Parts: sequence; structure tokens; C-alpha cells
Amino acid sequence: MLFSEIYGSYFRVVAAILTEAADAPLTQARLTALVREKGFSESTLTIPRALQTGEWPLLDDSRRSVLRHKPTMPLTLLEKRWLKALLADPRIALFDVDASGLEDVQPLYSPDVFVPFDRYADGDPYEDPVYIACFRTVLQAIRERRKLRISFRGKNGTHHSFVCIPHRLEYSAKDDKFRLLASGKHAVNWINLGRVSSCTLLEAYPPAAFSPPQTHTEELVLMLHDERNGLERVLLHFSHFEKETRRKSEGEYEIRIRYDRDDETELLIRVLSFGPVLEVKAPDRFIQLVRERIQNQLGYTPLGV
Amino acid sequence: MAYRELIKNFARIRSYMREFYVYGFKSREEYTEKSVRSYDNERRRVESWLGEHMSFHQDAGGKTVFLSVDSRHIPHNPLHKAFKAKSFTGKDITLHFYILDILADGCALSAGEITDRICTAYLSRFPDAFALDESTVRKKLKEYESLGLLRAEKSGREVLYRRTDSVHPVLDSWKDALAFFSEEDPLGVIGSFLTDALGEPFDGFRFKHHYILHALDSDILCELLLAIDERRAVELTLQSLRGKKEYQRTVCPLKIYRSTQSGRQYLLGYHYRGRRMVFFRLDSIRQIRQGEPEKQFDTYLALQKRFDRHLWGVSTGIERRLDHLEMTIRYSPGEEFIPRRLRREKRHGRVEMLDEQTCRFTADVYDASEMLPWLRTFTGRILELKCSNPAVTDQFQQDLKRMAELYGGGGDAVQ
Repeated sequence: MLFSEIYGSYFRVVAAILTEAADAPLTQARLTALVREKGFSESTLTIPRALQTGEWPLLDDSRRSVLRHKPTMPLTLLEKRWLKALLADPRIALFDVDASGLEDVQPLYSPDVFVPFDRYADGDPYEDPVYIACFRTVLQAIRERRKLRISFRGKNGTHHSFVCIPHRLEYSAKDDKFRLLASGKHAVNWINLGRVSSCTLLEAYPPAAFSPPQTHTEELVLMLHDERNGLERVLLHFSHFEKETRRKSEGEYEIRIRYDRDDETELLIRVLSFGPVLEVKAPDRFIQLVRERIQNQLGYTPLGV
Repeated sequence: MAYRELIKNFARIRSYMREFYVYGFKSREEYTEKSVRSYDNERRRVESWLGEHMSFHQDAGGKTVFLSVDSRHIPHNPLHKAFKAKSFTGKDITLHFYILDILADGCALSAGEITDRICTAYLSRFPDAFALDESTVRKKLKEYESLGLLRAEKSGREVLYRRTDSVHPVLDSWKDALAFFSEEDPLGVIGSFLTDALGEPFDGFRFKHHYILHALDSDILCELLLAIDERRAVELTLQSLRGKKEYQRTVCPLKIYRSTQSGRQYLLGYHYRGRRMVFFRLDSIRQIRQGEPEKQFDTYLALQKRFDRHLWGVSTGIERRLDHLEMTIRYSPGEEFIPRRLRREKRHGRVEMLDEQTCRFTADVYDASEMLPWLRTFTGRILELKCSNPAVTDQFQQDLKRMAELYGGGGDAVQ
């Protein structure tokens, strides 16, 4: 169904070749370059040969397209049904999409067919007009590389307003929230979009004025004691990190996870959630944080039964 | 057979990619499901598609290959590429471009007319090209009609085919939305196909806590969504994730439960034979056969709604009895985020304030042992934990004791 050649890389690469070869013959070098740029790493072994030997009779001897038009493909029914389904997602209001052409299309699914059972309950207000306006302004500023004046409530309710260069919007499915990564005069800030009260588009900034903020990456070393299906649970849970796993002995695995130091507290409670299945081996500071939590808990013993 | 970059069957590559991405510690010799040569070919393919995310290490057990990517730092799910590697024949790709070219000016033609044009306008220029008959073209036209690329129109006794471009949305206005939903929607791979057609995608989004592995189950999910939409029963062929044993179940599919904290996806369906609600992990489903329309669909859906009221995760416990759980939390001044955390993270139950620094969470769920990982995130603040199922509190205390031993914290203090 989804696994079909019409969505495939080779069809797309050949369409790009035929588009460029519609007006003038392609050189051998250009043909190969297009495949290298748009295909998989070993596609150059297949596509140029098939097109030039006539196995796929689409280019003539001078490497010009034999088609009368530049190739285009209509959307498939599945693609249209998927787009129609998105129109029922509350987050679609954040985007200014043109839905014409989908009037008679049956959505592929209804949003309530999905149950995100462990999603947090205080997600962003996607139907709030102020939120929508701010979101769209931020998106425009990122797209057009323009500065923003942004006003928002801080964690403690304090009002802030400053001029920033917006870098990107980050969404968390678990939190169901967007955060803006922006550079101010002195620091890089993460701003919850749900706390933003107004956004004003300012002038464009020169590319040299901005370099992407750097993250402070640390490495967490864990020893996994495989019990209660812990191996699969842990590796899936941490699968979104850059990680490396090595088997040390039967039932014992060393996992190295690279994480952003700003997220240390969150990572700490995630490690704690696995109980004795996970043992922190490094860094020492992290071990100390776990130890403190355990000591605090022991201070409340005996636990009521 | 010589190595090819493209594949005919998705099931095998789905299994290898999962192994490389989730586990990544097995050596070549441990992939025993198929031959060593098969392993080499699959590894080479994955490297060809996802080379930049592939790594390996060498130790006494041999060379191990793994996929490692911090999905917070990438705008697009690299696993979508596997869906773009379907093999095809020379005739498939040639007919694709010929047919869409012939119909590009909006005309409607019969299979015979299209075949004639292919032979005279295109294939005649290639003396060694393949032979073509009308039945092959007709078959391709019907396939493209079912995909929605062409529309069939009756004209007297003839069937004419026309492209469906005239009723399309303007995709340029969807560019930003596609960049978002290609990653966030459970069937985002379709957005990835659409984004490919748009050229330069929007690069302004990133995704935290972004589980990308589910993409490999997109075909299965799509089949299930179609069945749910048509209110049909399905016959599932499943493979147990540990024992690898294959088995079948016939169910009425109702909902897809998704975990935002592990990336796992589950089908909740009414199991006819067992006469009860059952969860199936999507990554354990190998095949789906669409069944008959289900007249009792609304009845089962109402059952699901009642059932959901006491589900913490996807465990239904033993005999569907409810476990009553109470957790009392103590926090320091300035830590008011703790009751806020309880309120936003709890899925059921209620939170009550006992005094300015103490609150209590109460819930009744089918299987309170499923709550243990979440309860442990409050380690250091749990004043009291009570549960009608003593195995839950016992487990919590045993685990705490073992953790105290692991970190040198005087485990004897735990009763």
C-alpha cells in the first residue's frame, strides 16, 4: 500500500532527470550528479546505466528526454485522504493551508481513532486566536530570516519582552507543546509558545549575525540488568537519543547516551523510572543526583502498606 | 542472485532495521533468522539508504552494526527512506512516465489508444525495446485508477482514462504543515512522499522526545485505519516478539493506542473468540487480511469507552479487577511544580492538597503495577504509598532497597 514504487526514490530521481533533460541533452557527468544528489548512495550503479542502455527507454542517444512534457504526477487517493484527515487535527489551524480540491475526499482516519494515552494534559491551546497568530508570525520570521519582538510570561508569571532572532520551533509529542529557540542579545532562550502574548515581525537580519546555538552534550553511561523485559523497554524508551549499546555479559548491557545537559533533571527521573534495572555508571554528578533522591526517599521509610 | 539496492518485500528489512536501531549490539553471526549472506545484503542496503546514521564497533564478539541518531537534531525521519526502496521492472517505470506523459494535456484515451501511442511515439525510437501488448497497458491503467492517479470514464462501450490532476489541492500552501505532520502524524511517511514532490522542504521544526521507529509499521497502521474507517473485522497474523512464534487472531479493530513515552503503538480490538478487548503491538503484526463489515461496531466502541476509564497503559490486569492506589507526596517550598506535575501527568484519578507542602494522588486502575515506572519518578518525595494490590507496594519497596544497595545508600533502612 505505502510500499509502492510510485513513491520511490528511483521514480523521483528519474523524474528529476527527465525534467532537466526536457530542454537540452544531459551530459554524462550531470546525469550522474543528479543521481548522486537525489538518490541513495548506490543508485549511481543502476540508474544511469538503465537509462543509457535503453533498459528504461526514456532518454534518447543524446540523453534528451523522449517525453513531450516535463514529468508530473497527480496525487494518489491515499495522499489526498491523508491530507483530508489532517484538516480535522486541531493543530492544522496553525498553518494557512489551501484545502480546495479535497472537498469530495473521504479522510483516511478521524483524529479520535488515536489514543495518546500517556500524553501530558496541559498541551498548548491550538484553538486560541492569539496563539495561532503568534505561531504564524514566528513561522514567518524563521522562514524569512527576520527578527522578532516577543512578549511572554516567564515561569514565575513575570512579564518579559525582548528582540530576538528565532532559530526554530521544537515540538514535543509528550508535552504537546511548542517551544521557540531564539537568540537574544546576551543568551539563547527556550520560550514556551503557550506563554507568548504577542509577537511582532521586525527587520531581516544578515546571515552573519546569527549562528545556530550550541548544545552542551554530555554522556550518560548506564548498566542495564536485563529483567522484566527491561532490555527492550529501556532501549525503546531511550531510542530517540544518540546511543550505543554493548553486551558486557549475559543479561548485562552497557548503554551510552548522549544528552543535552539542560535536560538533566528530566533524564534523571526517566532513569529513576526503571528502578534497579538501570544503574548509572557515569558521570559522577548524575550518580550523586540519583543517590540524593534515594536517600531522601529512605528518609520517609517505612513506607505505608 | 546479484545484490540490488531496492527490495521486493518490506517484512525482512523492517526486522533488520528495528534490530539495528533499537538493539545494535548483535554480531553478524547472531542474526540467525536468515542466512549470513542475507544479513550482508540487508546491512548493505540500510547503509546505502542511511549511511550517515550507521556506525559499528568491533569487540571480542565480532563486528556489530547499529543505527544511532538523535532525533531531536534532525528535521526528517530517516527511516521513511525504507518505504522509497521498492523494486520494480523496467516496464513499470517506463509505462509510468509514458502513460502520464500521454495524458498530461488533460485528454481522455482508451487503453488501445494509449498502447498505440506508446508504440508509435516512444518505443519506435528504441529498436531493442521490450514488446508491449494492450493487456499489459490495461493492467497498468487499472492499477493507476485504483491508486487515484487516473480516473476511468465510460464513453459508449469504451473505458477512457484521464489524469486526476484537475481536483488537487495546491501543495505549496501545505509546505510548512507537511514539514510538521510528516514527523508528528502517525502516518507521516505519506507527508514525506508529498514533501519529496515539493523540492526544498521547510527546515524550521525540530522534535523533542521524537520516536521514529513507528514509521516502519506505517503499512500495517494504514491497513488498520482503513479497516476501522470501513468498520470491518480483520484477521491478524502476529509474531510474538520474544518467542518469534506465529499465530492468528480475528478482531474488530477499534482504536490505536500510542505511547508518547516509548513510541510503541497498539491496536485495541474486540477479540471475537476470547470475547474481550485485547491489545496488540503493531510491531508484532506481520500481516492483515480485511474481513467482513462488523454490524456491532458501535457496541464494541461503547465497550471500549467504558474500558478506557480505568486503563493506565495497555495492561488489563488479571480478571479486570480494579486496583486502588494512593500516593502521598511531600515537597519543599518553591517546588510547587510537583503538584502541577501530578495534575498534568496523571491519566486518571485525582490530586488533593493535604497542606501547603503535601498532596495525595488517588486512582483506580486495572493494573496498578503498570504505574510503577511513573511512581518511581517521584522517588525522594513519596511520603506514603498504598495499594489494594500488595504486590505493587512490595515491588516498589524491593526495588528501592535494591537501588539503595546499588548506590550505597543503606538498603537496610527499607522495611
